[in-house]
Amino acid sequence: MKQRAITGWINFAVFLVLEIASLHMLRHNGDMQKAWLARGSHWVMGTVWGATQRIQGYFSLATTNQQLAQENFQLREQLLQAQEKLQQLRADSLQLVPRPGFSLTLAVVTKMSRNKQHNYLILNRGYEDGIQEKSGIISQNGVVGIVDAVSAHYAYAFSFQNSDISISARLGAEGETGLLVWDGIHPSGAILKEIPLQQQYHPGDTVFTSGHSLLFPPDIPLGIAGASKIVNGATSEIEVRLFQNFSSVRYVTVVHNNAFDEIEEFEP
Amino acid sequence: MRKSGFWVAYFLLLVAQILLSNYFRFTPYITLSILPVMVLCISTRIKPYVCMLIAFGSGLMVDWLSEGVLGLNAFALVPVALLRNPVIHLVYGEGLFTRKEDFTVKGHGVAKVIMAILMVQALFLALYIWADGAGLRPFWFSLARFFASLPAGLVVSLPTLNVLAADPHR
Repeated sequence: MKQRAITGWINFAVFLVLEIASLHMLRHNGDMQKAWLARGSHWVMGTVWGATQRIQGYFSLATTNQQLAQENFQLREQLLQAQEKLQQLRADSLQLVPRPGFSLTLAVVTKMSRNKQHNYLILNRGYEDGIQEKSGIISQNGVVGIVDAVSAHYAYAFSFQNSDISISARLGAEGETGLLVWDGIHPSGAILKEIPLQQQYHPGDTVFTSGHSLLFPPDIPLGIAGASKIVNGATSEIEVRLFQNFSSVRYVTVVHNNAFDEIEEFEP
Repeated sequence: MRKSGFWVAYFLLLVAQILLSNYFRFTPYITLSILPVMVLCISTRIKPYVCMLIAFGSGLMVDWLSEGVLGLNAFALVPVALLRNPVIHLVYGEGLFTRKEDFTVKGHGVAKVIMAILMVQALFLALYIWADGAGLRPFWFSLARFFASLPAGLVVSLPTLNVLAADPHR
Protein backbone atom coordinates (compact mmCIF):
# COMPACT_ATOMS: atom_id res chain seq x y z
CA MET A 1 0.00 0.00 0.00
CA LYS A 2 2.80 2.38 1.02
CA GLN A 3 4.74 1.42 -2.10
CA ARG A 4 1.71 2.29 -4.22
CA ALA A 5 1.37 5.70 -2.57
CA ILE A 6 5.05 6.46 -3.18
CA THR A 7 4.70 5.45 -6.85
CA GLY A 8 1.64 7.69 -7.10
CA TRP A 9 3.59 10.64 -5.74
CA ILE A 10 6.51 9.96 -8.09
CA ASN A 11 4.12 9.85 -11.06
CA PHE A 12 2.49 13.07 -9.99
CA ALA A 13 5.85 14.79 -9.46
CA VAL A 14 7.13 13.70 -12.89
CA PHE A 15 3.84 14.86 -14.42
CA LEU A 16 4.15 18.28 -12.79
CA VAL A 17 7.78 18.71 -13.81
CA LEU A 18 7.11 17.74 -17.42
CA GLU A 19 4.02 19.95 -17.71
CA ILE A 20 5.82 22.92 -16.18
CA ALA A 21 8.73 22.32 -18.59
CA SER A 22 6.29 22.20 -21.54
CA LEU A 23 4.53 25.38 -20.44
CA HIS A 24 7.84 27.10 -19.89
CA MET A 25 8.87 26.23 -23.43
CA LEU A 26 5.54 27.42 -24.79
CA ARG A 27 5.81 30.68 -22.89
CA HIS A 28 9.36 31.40 -23.92
CA ASN A 29 8.82 30.35 -27.47
CA GLY A 30 10.37 33.54 -28.83
CA ASP A 31 13.45 33.61 -26.63
CA MET A 32 17.11 32.92 -27.30
CA GLN A 33 16.79 29.22 -26.44
CA LYS A 34 14.20 28.88 -29.17
CA ALA A 35 16.46 30.56 -31.71
CA TRP A 36 19.29 28.25 -30.67
CA LEU A 37 17.12 25.12 -30.93
CA ALA A 38 15.41 26.43 -34.02
CA ARG A 39 18.68 26.71 -35.95
CA GLY A 40 18.98 22.92 -36.05
CA SER A 41 15.37 22.34 -37.01
CA HIS A 42 15.54 25.09 -39.66
CA TRP A 43 18.39 23.24 -41.29
CA VAL A 44 16.31 20.04 -41.38
CA MET A 45 13.18 21.80 -42.57
CA GLY A 46 15.06 23.91 -45.09
CA THR A 47 16.99 21.08 -46.70
CA VAL A 48 14.90 17.95 -46.19
CA TRP A 49 11.38 19.36 -46.46
CA GLY A 50 12.57 21.96 -48.97
CA ALA A 51 13.44 19.19 -51.41
CA THR A 52 9.78 18.18 -51.70
CA GLN A 53 8.80 21.81 -52.11
CA ARG A 54 11.20 22.07 -55.05
CA ILE A 55 9.52 19.08 -56.70
CA GLN A 56 6.12 20.70 -56.19
CA GLY A 57 7.56 23.91 -57.60
CA TYR A 58 8.72 22.13 -60.74
CA PHE A 59 5.20 20.97 -61.52
CA SER A 60 3.73 24.43 -61.01
CA LEU A 61 6.24 26.26 -63.21
CA ALA A 62 3.64 27.46 -65.69
CA THR A 63 1.59 29.21 -63.01
CA THR A 64 4.74 30.57 -61.41
CA ASN A 65 5.96 32.04 -64.69
CA GLN A 66 2.63 33.73 -65.15
CA GLN A 67 2.82 35.24 -61.68
CA LEU A 68 6.40 36.37 -62.29
CA ALA A 69 5.44 38.05 -65.52
CA GLN A 70 2.63 39.83 -63.72
CA GLU A 71 4.92 40.85 -60.88
CA ASN A 72 7.57 42.09 -63.32
CA PHE A 73 4.99 44.20 -65.03
CA GLN A 74 3.86 45.75 -61.76
CA LEU A 75 7.47 46.35 -60.69
CA ARG A 76 8.27 48.09 -63.95
CA GLU A 77 5.20 50.25 -63.46
CA GLN A 78 6.29 51.14 -59.93
CA LEU A 79 9.82 51.87 -61.14
CA LEU A 80 8.48 54.25 -63.71
CA GLN A 81 6.39 56.06 -61.10
CA ALA A 82 9.39 56.24 -58.78
CA GLN A 83 11.57 57.70 -61.53
CA GLU A 84 8.94 60.34 -62.22
CA LYS A 85 8.80 61.25 -58.55
CA LEU A 86 12.59 61.46 -58.45
CA GLN A 87 12.62 63.84 -61.36
CA GLN A 88 10.04 66.00 -59.60
CA LEU A 89 12.14 66.07 -56.47
CA ARG A 90 15.25 67.06 -58.39
CA ALA A 91 13.38 69.88 -59.96
CA ASP A 92 12.02 71.00 -56.62
CA SER A 93 13.90 73.86 -55.01
CA LEU A 94 13.41 72.26 -51.56
CA GLN A 95 16.11 69.61 -51.40
CA LEU A 96 15.27 66.73 -49.02
CA VAL A 97 18.00 65.24 -46.87
CA PRO A 98 18.51 61.66 -48.11
CA ARG A 99 17.52 58.96 -45.60
CA PRO A 100 18.70 55.36 -45.48
CA GLY A 101 15.35 53.87 -46.62
CA PHE A 102 14.67 50.17 -47.18
CA SER A 103 16.87 47.59 -48.86
CA LEU A 104 15.12 44.87 -50.89
CA THR A 105 16.06 41.23 -51.51
CA LEU A 106 14.15 38.79 -53.69
CA ALA A 107 13.61 35.36 -52.08
CA VAL A 108 11.77 32.14 -52.73
CA VAL A 109 9.58 30.46 -50.12
CA THR A 110 11.18 27.06 -49.48
CA LYS A 111 8.61 25.88 -46.98
CA MET A 112 5.49 27.40 -45.57
CA SER A 113 2.85 26.19 -43.14
CA ARG A 114 -0.68 27.49 -43.58
CA ASN A 115 -3.20 25.66 -41.46
CA LYS A 116 -1.80 26.08 -37.98
CA GLN A 117 -2.31 28.81 -35.43
CA HIS A 118 1.41 29.61 -35.45
CA ASN A 119 2.37 29.46 -39.10
CA TYR A 120 5.87 30.05 -40.35
CA LEU A 121 7.84 30.12 -43.58
CA ILE A 122 11.39 29.41 -44.61
CA LEU A 123 13.08 31.47 -47.32
CA ASN A 124 16.00 30.39 -49.47
CA ARG A 125 18.08 33.42 -48.48
CA GLY A 126 20.25 33.77 -45.36
CA TYR A 127 22.72 36.20 -43.87
CA GLU A 128 25.20 35.47 -46.66
CA ASP A 129 22.60 36.98 -48.99
CA GLY A 130 22.19 40.04 -46.79
CA ILE A 131 19.02 38.96 -44.99
CA GLN A 132 18.78 40.27 -41.44
CA GLU A 133 16.50 39.47 -38.53
CA LYS A 134 13.56 41.82 -38.01
CA SER A 135 13.00 42.35 -41.70
CA GLY A 136 9.60 42.45 -43.32
CA ILE A 137 8.48 40.08 -46.07
CA ILE A 138 6.14 41.36 -48.75
CA SER A 139 4.80 40.27 -52.10
CA GLN A 140 2.85 42.13 -54.74
CA ASN A 141 -0.31 41.37 -52.74
CA GLY A 142 0.75 42.70 -49.36
CA VAL A 143 2.52 41.56 -46.24
CA VAL A 144 3.61 37.92 -45.94
CA GLY A 145 5.54 37.83 -42.65
CA ILE A 146 8.48 38.90 -40.52
CA VAL A 147 11.98 37.36 -40.48
CA ASP A 148 12.73 35.93 -37.05
CA ALA A 149 16.05 34.12 -37.45
CA VAL A 150 18.61 33.67 -40.18
CA SER A 151 21.21 31.02 -40.94
CA ALA A 152 23.83 31.22 -43.67
CA HIS A 153 21.48 30.20 -46.49
CA TYR A 154 17.98 30.22 -45.02
CA ALA A 155 15.73 32.59 -43.16
CA TYR A 156 13.01 31.49 -40.73
CA ALA A 157 10.06 33.81 -40.57
CA PHE A 158 6.73 34.14 -38.83
CA SER A 159 3.94 34.17 -41.34
CA PHE A 160 1.31 36.88 -40.99
CA GLN A 161 -0.97 33.87 -40.37
CA ASN A 162 0.48 33.56 -36.88
CA SER A 163 -1.33 34.57 -33.72
CA ASP A 164 1.87 36.19 -32.40
CA ILE A 165 2.15 38.68 -35.27
CA SER A 166 0.56 42.10 -35.54
CA ILE A 167 1.41 44.90 -37.95
CA SER A 168 0.63 48.57 -37.91
CA ALA A 169 -1.98 49.37 -40.54
CA ARG A 170 -3.93 52.43 -41.67
CA LEU A 171 -7.54 52.60 -42.71
CA GLY A 172 -7.82 54.34 -46.07
CA ALA A 173 -5.36 56.87 -47.45
CA GLU A 174 -5.58 59.30 -44.53
CA GLY A 175 -7.39 57.29 -41.84
CA GLU A 176 -6.56 56.15 -38.35
CA THR A 177 -3.96 53.52 -37.67
CA GLY A 178 -4.48 50.31 -35.73
CA LEU A 179 -3.06 46.84 -35.31
CA LEU A 180 -3.77 44.31 -38.02
CA VAL A 181 -3.79 40.67 -36.88
CA TRP A 182 -4.78 37.42 -38.55
CA ASP A 183 -8.26 36.26 -37.46
CA GLY A 184 -6.90 32.73 -36.98
CA ILE A 185 -9.78 31.14 -38.88
CA HIS A 186 -9.94 32.22 -42.52
CA PRO A 187 -6.87 32.09 -44.80
CA SER A 188 -7.46 35.66 -45.97
CA GLY A 189 -9.20 37.02 -42.90
CA ALA A 190 -7.72 39.65 -40.61
CA ILE A 191 -8.91 42.07 -37.93
CA LEU A 192 -7.91 45.71 -37.66
CA LYS A 193 -7.93 46.53 -33.95
CA GLU A 194 -7.87 49.66 -31.81
CA ILE A 195 -9.59 51.97 -34.28
CA PRO A 196 -11.17 54.96 -32.45
CA LEU A 197 -14.97 55.00 -32.49
CA GLN A 198 -15.17 58.44 -34.10
CA GLN A 199 -13.27 57.19 -37.15
CA GLN A 200 -15.55 57.29 -40.17
CA TYR A 201 -14.99 54.57 -42.70
CA HIS A 202 -16.87 52.72 -45.38
CA PRO A 203 -16.80 48.97 -45.92
CA GLY A 204 -14.72 48.53 -49.04
CA ASP A 205 -12.03 51.02 -47.98
CA THR A 206 -8.49 49.81 -48.56
CA VAL A 207 -6.21 49.06 -45.61
CA PHE A 208 -2.53 50.01 -46.03
CA THR A 209 0.64 49.59 -44.00
CA SER A 210 0.93 52.71 -41.85
CA GLY A 211 4.67 53.21 -41.95
CA HIS A 212 4.68 53.51 -38.14
CA SER A 213 6.32 50.13 -37.92
CA LEU A 214 10.04 49.86 -38.55
CA LEU A 215 9.54 46.68 -40.53
CA PHE A 216 7.39 47.70 -43.48
CA PRO A 217 7.39 50.71 -45.79
CA PRO A 218 4.16 52.75 -45.72
CA ASP A 219 1.27 52.51 -48.19
CA ILE A 220 1.46 48.83 -49.10
CA PRO A 221 -2.14 47.77 -49.81
CA LEU A 222 -3.09 44.94 -47.47
CA GLY A 223 -6.78 44.30 -47.90
CA ILE A 224 -10.34 45.57 -47.95
CA ALA A 225 -12.24 46.67 -44.85
CA GLY A 226 -15.49 44.89 -44.04
CA ALA A 227 -17.89 44.90 -41.12
CA SER A 228 -16.96 46.38 -37.76
CA LYS A 229 -17.88 45.88 -34.12
CA ILE A 230 -17.38 47.92 -30.97
CA VAL A 231 -15.05 46.49 -28.34
CA ASN A 232 -15.52 47.45 -24.67
CA GLY A 233 -17.34 50.60 -25.78
CA ALA A 234 -14.00 52.24 -26.53
CA THR A 235 -12.63 51.14 -29.89
CA SER A 236 -13.74 49.38 -33.05
CA GLU A 237 -12.54 46.16 -34.59
CA ILE A 238 -12.86 45.99 -38.35
CA GLU A 239 -12.84 42.80 -40.39
CA VAL A 240 -10.36 42.90 -43.27
CA ARG A 241 -10.21 40.65 -46.31
CA LEU A 242 -6.54 40.37 -47.24
CA PHE A 243 -5.28 40.65 -50.82
CA GLN A 244 -2.55 38.16 -50.01
CA ASN A 245 -3.27 34.59 -51.07
CA PHE A 246 -1.00 32.55 -48.81
CA SER A 247 -1.60 29.31 -50.66
CA SER A 248 0.09 30.55 -53.84
CA VAL A 249 2.86 32.75 -52.48
CA ARG A 250 6.27 31.62 -53.73
CA TYR A 251 8.35 34.66 -54.72
CA VAL A 252 8.64 37.32 -52.05
CA THR A 253 10.66 40.44 -51.33
CA VAL A 254 12.45 40.86 -48.02
CA VAL A 255 12.50 44.50 -46.95
CA HIS A 256 14.90 45.73 -44.31
CA ASN A 257 14.81 49.18 -42.82
CA ASN A 258 18.38 50.46 -43.01
CA ALA A 259 17.68 52.83 -40.16
CA PHE A 260 16.31 50.04 -37.94
CA ASP A 261 19.24 49.91 -35.51
CA GLU A 262 19.52 53.69 -35.31
CA ILE A 263 15.82 54.07 -34.48
CA GLU A 264 15.88 51.09 -32.11
CA GLU A 265 18.44 52.93 -29.99
CA PHE A 266 15.72 55.36 -28.98
CA GLU A 267 13.51 52.56 -27.70
CA PRO A 268 13.66 52.12 -23.93
CA MET B 1 2.86 -8.52 -24.37
CA ARG B 2 3.85 -6.31 -27.27
CA LYS B 3 5.57 -7.57 -30.42
CA SER B 4 9.34 -7.52 -30.39
CA GLY B 5 9.53 -4.78 -33.04
CA PHE B 6 7.28 -2.43 -31.05
CA TRP B 7 9.84 0.32 -30.50
CA VAL B 8 11.00 0.27 -34.13
CA ALA B 9 7.37 0.64 -35.20
CA TYR B 10 6.89 3.37 -32.57
CA PHE B 11 9.84 5.33 -33.93
CA LEU B 12 8.67 4.95 -37.54
CA LEU B 13 5.20 6.15 -36.54
CA LEU B 14 6.82 9.15 -34.85
CA VAL B 15 8.41 9.97 -38.21
CA ALA B 16 4.97 9.46 -39.79
CA GLN B 17 3.51 11.97 -37.31
CA ILE B 18 6.18 14.52 -38.26
CA LEU B 19 5.20 14.03 -41.92
CA LEU B 20 1.51 14.33 -40.98
CA SER B 21 2.18 17.61 -39.18
CA ASN B 22 4.18 18.98 -42.10
CA TYR B 23 2.16 17.88 -45.09
CA PHE B 24 -1.37 16.96 -44.03
CA ARG B 25 -2.69 20.30 -42.89
CA PHE B 26 -5.70 20.88 -45.09
CA THR B 27 -7.74 23.22 -42.93
CA PRO B 28 -7.26 25.07 -39.62
CA TYR B 29 -10.22 23.10 -38.26
CA ILE B 30 -8.51 19.71 -38.36
CA THR B 31 -5.50 18.65 -36.32
CA LEU B 32 -4.33 15.16 -37.21
CA SER B 33 -2.41 13.35 -34.51
CA ILE B 34 -1.54 9.72 -33.90
CA LEU B 35 0.53 10.57 -30.83
CA PRO B 36 -2.23 9.84 -28.25
CA VAL B 37 -2.87 6.36 -29.64
CA MET B 38 0.87 5.68 -29.81
CA VAL B 39 1.15 6.47 -26.10
CA LEU B 40 -1.96 4.41 -25.40
CA CYS B 41 -0.32 1.38 -27.03
CA ILE B 42 2.83 1.44 -24.87
CA SER B 43 2.88 -1.68 -22.73
CA THR B 44 1.00 -1.36 -19.42
CA ARG B 45 3.99 -2.93 -17.69
CA ILE B 46 5.99 0.22 -18.33
CA LYS B 47 5.72 2.48 -15.30
CA PRO B 48 3.58 5.63 -15.75
CA TYR B 49 6.46 8.04 -15.07
CA VAL B 50 8.59 6.30 -17.72
CA CYS B 51 5.63 6.46 -20.08
CA MET B 52 5.28 10.20 -19.37
CA LEU B 53 8.97 10.73 -20.16
CA ILE B 54 8.53 8.83 -23.45
CA ALA B 55 5.44 10.92 -24.25
CA PHE B 56 7.30 14.12 -23.39
CA GLY B 57 10.24 13.14 -25.63
CA SER B 58 7.92 12.10 -28.48
CA GLY B 59 5.94 15.34 -28.25
CA LEU B 60 9.08 17.42 -28.13
CA MET B 61 10.52 15.67 -31.19
CA VAL B 62 7.38 16.40 -33.20
CA ASP B 63 7.35 20.00 -31.91
CA TRP B 64 10.95 20.49 -32.85
CA LEU B 65 10.78 19.02 -36.33
CA SER B 66 7.39 20.20 -37.48
CA GLU B 67 5.15 22.37 -35.37
CA GLY B 68 7.36 25.36 -34.80
CA VAL B 69 5.89 25.82 -31.30
CA LEU B 70 8.17 24.03 -28.90
CA GLY B 71 6.31 22.35 -26.05
CA LEU B 72 2.84 22.23 -27.60
CA ASN B 73 2.59 18.50 -28.37
CA ALA B 74 4.62 17.65 -25.27
CA PHE B 75 2.22 19.67 -23.10
CA ALA B 76 -0.85 17.87 -24.47
CA LEU B 77 0.69 14.39 -24.55
CA VAL B 78 2.06 14.05 -20.99
CA PRO B 79 -1.45 14.03 -19.40
CA VAL B 80 -2.42 11.31 -21.90
CA ALA B 81 0.48 9.23 -20.60
CA LEU B 82 -0.54 9.92 -17.00
CA LEU B 83 -4.17 8.91 -17.56
CA ARG B 84 -3.41 6.04 -19.94
CA ASN B 85 -3.68 3.31 -17.32
CA PRO B 86 -6.99 4.62 -15.86
CA VAL B 87 -8.40 4.78 -19.40
CA ILE B 88 -7.32 1.19 -20.14
CA HIS B 89 -8.69 0.14 -16.74
CA LEU B 90 -12.01 1.83 -17.47
CA VAL B 91 -12.39 0.34 -20.95
CA TYR B 92 -10.87 -3.13 -20.53
CA GLY B 93 -11.36 -3.73 -16.81
CA GLU B 94 -9.05 -4.96 -14.02
CA GLY B 95 -8.44 -8.36 -15.68
CA LEU B 96 -5.90 -7.01 -18.11
CA PHE B 97 -3.68 -5.72 -15.30
CA THR B 98 -4.13 -8.84 -13.18
CA ARG B 99 -3.07 -11.09 -16.05
CA LYS B 100 -0.27 -8.63 -16.90
CA GLU B 101 -1.46 -8.49 -20.50
CA ASP B 102 -1.59 -5.72 -23.05
CA PHE B 103 -4.78 -5.07 -24.98
CA THR B 104 -4.93 -6.05 -28.66
CA VAL B 105 -7.42 -5.22 -31.39
CA LYS B 106 -8.13 -8.86 -32.14
CA GLY B 107 -8.37 -10.00 -28.53
CA HIS B 108 -10.55 -7.22 -27.12
CA GLY B 109 -12.78 -6.04 -29.95
CA VAL B 110 -13.03 -2.92 -32.07
CA ALA B 111 -15.74 -1.18 -30.02
CA LYS B 112 -13.56 -0.99 -26.91
CA VAL B 113 -10.61 0.09 -28.99
CA ILE B 114 -12.61 2.96 -30.49
CA MET B 115 -13.79 4.02 -27.06
CA ALA B 116 -10.23 4.07 -25.70
CA ILE B 117 -8.96 6.02 -28.73
CA LEU B 118 -11.76 8.57 -28.43
CA MET B 119 -10.97 9.12 -24.75
CA VAL B 120 -7.24 9.74 -25.24
CA GLN B 121 -7.79 11.75 -28.43
CA ALA B 122 -10.36 13.94 -26.69
CA LEU B 123 -8.00 14.64 -23.80
CA PHE B 124 -5.09 15.37 -26.14
CA LEU B 125 -7.11 17.60 -28.48
CA ALA B 126 -8.73 19.58 -25.67
CA LEU B 127 -5.32 20.50 -24.24
CA TYR B 128 -3.65 20.98 -27.64
CA ILE B 129 -6.35 23.26 -29.06
CA TRP B 130 -6.59 25.25 -25.84
CA ALA B 131 -2.81 25.83 -25.70
CA ASP B 132 -2.52 26.42 -29.45
CA GLY B 133 -5.22 29.09 -29.45
CA ALA B 134 -3.64 30.66 -26.35
CA GLY B 135 -7.04 32.09 -25.42
CA LEU B 136 -7.05 34.35 -28.49
CA ARG B 137 -9.45 32.37 -30.67
CA PRO B 138 -13.24 32.43 -30.24
CA PHE B 139 -14.73 29.56 -28.26
CA TRP B 140 -16.88 28.37 -31.19
CA PHE B 141 -13.77 28.02 -33.36
CA SER B 142 -11.96 25.91 -30.76
CA LEU B 143 -15.09 23.80 -30.30
CA ALA B 144 -15.51 23.30 -34.06
CA ARG B 145 -11.83 22.42 -34.32
CA PHE B 146 -12.19 19.90 -31.51
CA PHE B 147 -15.22 18.15 -33.00
CA ALA B 148 -13.73 18.13 -36.51
CA SER B 149 -10.39 16.78 -35.30
CA LEU B 150 -11.82 14.04 -33.10
CA PRO B 151 -13.25 11.80 -35.87
CA ALA B 152 -10.31 12.63 -38.14
CA GLY B 153 -7.96 11.57 -35.34
CA LEU B 154 -9.92 8.35 -34.90
CA VAL B 155 -9.55 7.54 -38.60
CA VAL B 156 -5.75 7.90 -38.55
CA SER B 157 -5.48 6.22 -35.14
CA LEU B 158 -7.11 2.92 -36.13
CA PRO B 159 -4.37 1.79 -38.55
CA THR B 160 -1.77 3.03 -36.06
CA LEU B 161 -3.29 0.92 -33.34
CA ASN B 162 -3.39 -2.03 -35.72
CA VAL B 163 0.37 -1.71 -36.11
CA LEU B 164 1.28 -1.14 -32.46
CA ALA B 165 -1.34 -3.29 -30.72
CA ALA B 166 -1.36 -6.24 -33.08
CA ASP B 167 -1.73 -9.73 -31.59
CA PRO B 168 1.87 -10.84 -30.70
CA HIS B 169 1.02 -14.44 -31.70
CA ARG B 170 -0.12 -13.42 -35.16
